[in-house]
Amino acid sequence: MTGTLMVDARDIEKRVTTAEGELQILHRVSLSVADGESLAITGPSGSGKSTLLGILAGLDTPTSGSVALAGRELTTLDEEGRAKVRADHVGFIFQSFQLLPGLSALENVMLPLELRGVSGARERAREFLARVGLSERLSHYPPQLSGGEQQRVAIARAFASQPRVLFADEPTGNLDTVTGAKIIDLLFELNREQGTTLLLITHEERLAERCGRRVELTAGELQGA
Amino acid sequence: MLALRLLWRNWRSGELKLLGLALVIAVGVVGAIALFTDRLERSLIQESNALLGADRVVRSSRPINPDWFPEAEARGLQQSQAVTFSSMVFAGEEMYLAGIKAVDERYPLRGNLVVNERAFAADGNVVAEGVPAPGEAWVDGRLLPLLDIALGDTVGVGEYELTVTRILVREPDGGNPFNAMGARLLMNLEDLERTEVIQPGSRVTYQWLLAADSDTVLRQGVEWLEEALGEHERIIDLRTAQQGLTNTLDTGQRFLLLAAVIGVLLAGVAIALSARQFAERHEDQVALMKSLGAGAGQVRRLYLTQLLVLATGASLIGLVLAEIAQRAIAWGIQSGFEVQLLAPGFYPYVFSLLTGVIALVCFALPALWFLPGVPPLKVLRRELEPNRLEASWQLFFAALAVVVLVALFSRDLALALSVLAALLVVLLITLGLALALLSLSRRIGASAGSIWRLAVASLQRRRAESLIQIAVFSVALMLLFTLLVVRTSMVAEWQATLPEGAPNHFLVNIPEHQVAPIQRLLDDENIERQPLYPMVRGRLTEINDNNARELDLEHNTLRREINLTWTDSLAEDNEIIEGLWWDDWQRSDADLPGVSVELDAATGLGLALGDRLRFSVGGLELRAEVASIRTLDWNSMRPNFYFIFEPGALDEFSPTYITSMYLPAEDKPFLNQLLRQYPTILVMELDRIIEQVQRVITQVSNAVQLVLWMTLFGGVLVLFAAVNGSLAARRQESALLRALGSRRQLILGSVFYEFAILGVLAGVIAIVGAEVLLMGLQLFVLEIPVRPHYWLWIAGPLAGAALVSGLGVAGCRSVVTTPPGKVLRELA
Ligand SMILES: Nc1ncnc2c1ncn2[C@@H]1O[C@H](COP(=O)(O)OP(=O)(O)OP(=O)(O)O)[C@@H](O)[C@H]1O
Ligand SMILES: [Mg+2]
Repeated sequence: MTGTLMVDARDIEKRVTTAEGELQILHRVSLSVADGESLAITGPSGSGKSTLLGILAGLDTPTSGSVALAGRELTTLDEEGRAKVRADHVGFIFQSFQLLPGLSALENVMLPLELRGVSGARERAREFLARVGLSERLSHYPPQLSGGEQQRVAIARAFASQPRVLFADEPTGNLDTVTGAKIIDLLFELNREQGTTLLLITHEERLAERCGRRVELTAGELQGA
Repeated sequence: MLALRLLWRNWRSGELKLLGLALVIAVGVVGAIALFTDRLERSLIQESNALLGADRVVRSSRPINPDWFPEAEARGLQQSQAVTFSSMVFAGEEMYLAGIKAVDERYPLRGNLVVNERAFAADGNVVAEGVPAPGEAWVDGRLLPLLDIALGDTVGVGEYELTVTRILVREPDGGNPFNAMGARLLMNLEDLERTEVIQPGSRVTYQWLLAADSDTVLRQGVEWLEEALGEHERIIDLRTAQQGLTNTLDTGQRFLLLAAVIGVLLAGVAIALSARQFAERHEDQVALMKSLGAGAGQVRRLYLTQLLVLATGASLIGLVLAEIAQRAIAWGIQSGFEVQLLAPGFYPYVFSLLTGVIALVCFALPALWFLPGVPPLKVLRRELEPNRLEASWQLFFAALAVVVLVALFSRDLALALSVLAALLVVLLITLGLALALLSLSRRIGASAGSIWRLAVASLQRRRAESLIQIAVFSVALMLLFTLLVVRTSMVAEWQATLPEGAPNHFLVNIPEHQVAPIQRLLDDENIERQPLYPMVRGRLTEINDNNARELDLEHNTLRREINLTWTDSLAEDNEIIEGLWWDDWQRSDADLPGVSVELDAATGLGLALGDRLRFSVGGLELRAEVASIRTLDWNSMRPNFYFIFEPGALDEFSPTYITSMYLPAEDKPFLNQLLRQYPTILVMELDRIIEQVQRVITQVSNAVQLVLWMTLFGGVLVLFAAVNGSLAARRQESALLRALGSRRQLILGSVFYEFAILGVLAGVIAIVGAEVLLMGLQLFVLEIPVRPHYWLWIAGPLAGAALVSGLGVAGCRSVVTTPPGKVLRELA
């Protein structure tokens, strides 16, 4: 742990206008995550976890407050600028895997590398797929893979670009308990190897326990722990 | 390059195939039509110029200035000369006032002379090589009986003797049969001086025929001539020379253009649809790419490059297809009709390639425009809707494409605007009508069997999609119906000009005492004929005691002498629409004879029943009262009259008689007999003119048929694109239903009903749109009278249901053939 802050959010508020009027999703949320730390965000459904994650990762902007990611102040950047920060530092793992169905496992892993213009993308992707135990399935397409295999491809994709911080929104939400456990093992193993900062949302106690720290979000307010 | 790799991956996964195919078809259909119409247009112009004998003719009452010949030569113009005049032709005791034409050896520059070794023979016609040699004459078949001569005999023209060596069957510039100058005698220009018939003051027309291989040379030549010509000379082109035929050609060309525009539109719809599907499928992909750090600019570049490469490839393939298709069409026509089509110009190729670009920019790009703006947050919140380009803008671009393409293609704004207007009407009506009809079908569906209920439920569930599909189907069907009606009515109109067994010969100038014997002769020979009408020529001088010329009226009947007749029985194509025919009509107090007026003349002259007219007939006065107003068919090839008087009203004006008859080709020798017995009557051989027109029409009509088929293919493609759009969702539903134990039959049945309902609804809407479109086209472009097409109202929904359900079931077959397990697994 270097002691510097990877994520530093201050007084984030998120309000949206809906048909029923204004809705406040987040109430003055402040949260900081140190480099190399792992943090679990838990909370009931609809409490604003995904909204918070999106803001911290620079996918969305807060209504007020400030967010710094890897030392860059996101709220002062436009979408192009935030995209650059994401490209340089951020990886994602989603509940629904978000693999492109038309691309083979290998190509799915290659995509972020290709978008960044990294050379040797194919070799690196192959390496990481081997790392998650899918050397035999390089040319298979997502619909031909089981849910656990798809999530492993997604993990390979996230780690292949060697991000400094990884955001995961319920990575085991769509998997059965046994498969989920394997995925959790894999996730933490790679995380430890690469020294990645990890922010994950989960409903699962097992998963939350493995993180260095956990916070709970209820009705848009942070109950720090 | 990443874009190319992505393109390949997208192509491989099938996402671009439909878009690519639609582009190929757009360029292919448009290209084939553009190339083919270009060839046809060039050939038709060539063919019709054959009727003139040249591309342009300078006509003058004085010899053409010989200084111009070298100048024309230097400008690259081909030239030939002809001199026409009327002169007595002698053979022994007989003589006849013939129309003589003396030509040089290059005559004609376009088209050819057709000759025969026998008079009025049905076969044996051949294209002449060259013109009559000096000392020879080729003559109209009817000259033989008139002069009582045979081929090989000599005839005297002025001071010179010519040997008649051939029968002249067809010549360019056959001219208007009603201005018949008498039978033709064609001779060599070298002999002209020796005849000594041309004296100062003779009525002679000098013709200078011009032609050029390139449009530019011709245009520049004409510009030069217009400067140089004096007041006696006039430049004649096809338009002025053959008004009737020109109209037919124009109509034919317009029709082809219309078909081409519709082809473009159908392909455009297919492109827009597949682009939309592509965009939908790529929303998630773009969100993911952006969450991975791709900026909007990068995404835009990546997709634009892909599209550009795709469009270029598709356009090139489309062009190759177009070339093959147009060659095939041309080959079919050439082998069927022994016509030589000219090679296409350069422009259609450029235009076809441009079509690919325009179609992509105007139909595909608006649907894809939002893609780079898809928010990356969509990876977390899937329900997030990206900022799509508003439908109104997409429509605007589609409309723009139509206008640009039509402008490029036809340069006919009226056509473009009526197509556009009808499209807008259809879209507006579609939305309203489709919503209403959908809810109606739900109400009916509630009380129906399970297959039907499933179908209606599916329609309701995909309400927005159903609306879009109905809109698309209606547009496609509307365009097809329009094309069909326009083609049918146009072909019908052409055929109306030339009904089977229609009179093809006019007999005029029959004196009163020959009426009975000629009637007998014709009837003995079983020749189909019209009654013999008495005819006097007169001028309309007064309407209700007002001088007709001083009234502010515009009508043919005021400009020249008109033919007047009387009869007691109406010809079958005449119909009284106001007033009474003679059987029931009673003279008024003024005790004037009655006259029946043709509708067009009555309207033009502002006549009503009871109006009093005064005519001047050869200096004598004829008064009459309007007894009825008639419509008639001017195309019937029967003697037709603006004014028909009460029986006997013309007796004191010593009328001659006129009739028309139908003479099949093999009976033509009968003319010999007729003219030998009654040498003073004049025979007009309309069949020759008819044949010329028919040749051109057959060509156009066949081309039109092929174009219709190609356009239909575009329509089928649209339907497939639309069906394809819903395939993924259908597969899921069907898999679920089958997992739950539904039989395939039930699922396919419900798909069938669903599309049948869509088809019927689209058919109904399409008819409304087609009628509007047709009205616009008929009123403003084609100038055909507007009438509703009742058969469409029955055939439309049926055809819609059959076509759409057939294609729908065909397109959805994979939905029931894929094992449900596989589908459900892909869903996970
Ligand atoms: N743009 C928006 N417009 C309207 N409502 C929104 C918007 N974004 C979020 N919400 C609402 O805010 C609440 C919090 O959403 P969020 O997705 O962050 O919850 P969550 O904690 O991730 O829930 P879950 O555990 O079910 O994923 C929800 O009720 C959601 O509907
Ligand atoms: Mg969530």
